[in-house]
Amino acid sequence: MVLLRADATAQVRNPMSLVLAFALPLILLVATGLGKNSAALGGPEFRISLGLTVGLVSIGTVGYSLSIARDRDTGVFQRLRVTPAPIWTIMVSRWIVQLGAVLVMAIVVLAVAGIFLNITLAPQDYLFTVLVALLGSAVFLSIGQAIVGLIASADTLNAAGRVIYVPLIGLSLFGNTDRLGTAVEMVSRWSPGGCLETLLSAAMGATSWSGQEWEALLASLGYTVVFAVIGIRWFRWVSR
Amino acid sequence: MAPALTVRGLRVAYGSIVAVDGIDLEVREGEIYGLLGPNGAGKTSALSAIEGLLRPAAGDIVIGNVDARVHPLQAKAQLGVQLQKTSFHSNLTLIEIVRLYAGLYGVTLTSAQIQELLGQINLQSEASKRFRELSGGQQQRFSLLIATIHDPALVLLDEPTAGLDPQARRQLWERIERFRKEGRSILLTTHSMEEAQAVCDRVAIMDHGKILTVGTPAALIAAHRDDPQVREAAHGEVTLEDVFIALTGRELRD
Repeated sequence: MVLLRADATAQVRNPMSLVLAFALPLILLVATGLGKNSAALGGPEFRISLGLTVGLVSIGTVGYSLSIARDRDTGVFQRLRVTPAPIWTIMVSRWIVQLGAVLVMAIVVLAVAGIFLNITLAPQDYLFTVLVALLGSAVFLSIGQAIVGLIASADTLNAAGRVIYVPLIGLSLFGNTDRLGTAVEMVSRWSPGGCLETLLSAAMGATSWSGQEWEALLASLGYTVVFAVIGIRWFRWVSR
Repeated sequence: MAPALTVRGLRVAYGSIVAVDGIDLEVREGEIYGLLGPNGAGKTSALSAIEGLLRPAAGDIVIGNVDARVHPLQAKAQLGVQLQKTSFHSNLTLIEIVRLYAGLYGVTLTSAQIQELLGQINLQSEASKRFRELSGGQQQRFSLLIATIHDPALVLLDEPTAGLDPQARRQLWERIERFRKEGRSILLTTHSMEEAQAVCDRVAIMDHGKILTVGTPAALIAAHRDDPQVREAAHGEVTLEDVFIALTGRELRD
């Protein structure tokens, strides 16, 4: 509990994590409604799901992996590992903090969408949307874990994170449109972000739950398992 | 009375590279024990295995009466550790870090008690600062405070005076001396032979993963005084450094 409190305090005081978690999703939420062609990307629910996806990628894949890599580089984990705290609690505490950040981010995005953009959902759909966001955070946290497992230093990870971030967001953006061709649409739809958007659309009541949603759910679970296994298998507590 | 630390046949390997090759050592109660050796001798690997950071390939580690390989968490609870490279959560203040580490050891401290502890190491006015905002000497003092926050019987210090100016170094040795007077045992590594000779009750000289010799600094000097290699290394009166150079060689280590 004491570790969880410390990790949460450190997260809240990190300005970069706040920008990644809140500013980017809100900017996208607003920006995707601007311009006469914005409707071609998707409806109002799409704007929410895109905002949530960006927040999840930012928190799980970029923010999480970078904070882990930095703490590994500076020796924070080694210091914790010589205490009697069980090793697993060190990582689980970080995951819980990230899930908390996702929860807050999802509530803020939904609140801003409802209050300022008049995009509202049925009451039960808010609950489903938050639950799907939490499922999505498992996908992107596992991707973040895989990245920090495979990349040795924080500096390299910082550079690589930007390279990974853009396609993850880009693929999420074009999952609902064939403007770049059906091949891109197909790849986009089955990317981690695309699967999440499919699930979010169903959770928000924009589409009905059908075979495609089940497939997206299975794919999301598959991504989570595969990336988590990679991340745990190759993770090292010290930078190489 | 059981020794504070007993290590038997400790072997640490990184793949095919053997860093620690079957060493034995025993740290007695209230003793300052220095583990000396050139870079790459295996000191930090040995310490890391004792601290539970590395899984040894073989050997026994008993801390007090606790077998560290069977009950690692219980063993860690009895150890105070200052690592060679230490850092703490970058966005926490010193007060919050003290509270965190005290909590991890099951020690509950009030804000007044934390302030008092920080006052003992002259960091009371820095209580709201982050660890990275401290000077090197302040960081070492703070790290030592965290290492002993739970009043451990055995303290492991990996090159505690590295990079410190003479004043900060002197202060640190005074604190280490105080630990001994309080009855704690200390196992430390250092590159400073002068300090080891002055402060350690016993030293072990280690190289290529093996302990070459163990004894009080005076006994080691007396035992090796007449070795031709020691004579060659000495400029005037024979020191522990001369013995060290004679046993481990003159070539540079990375």
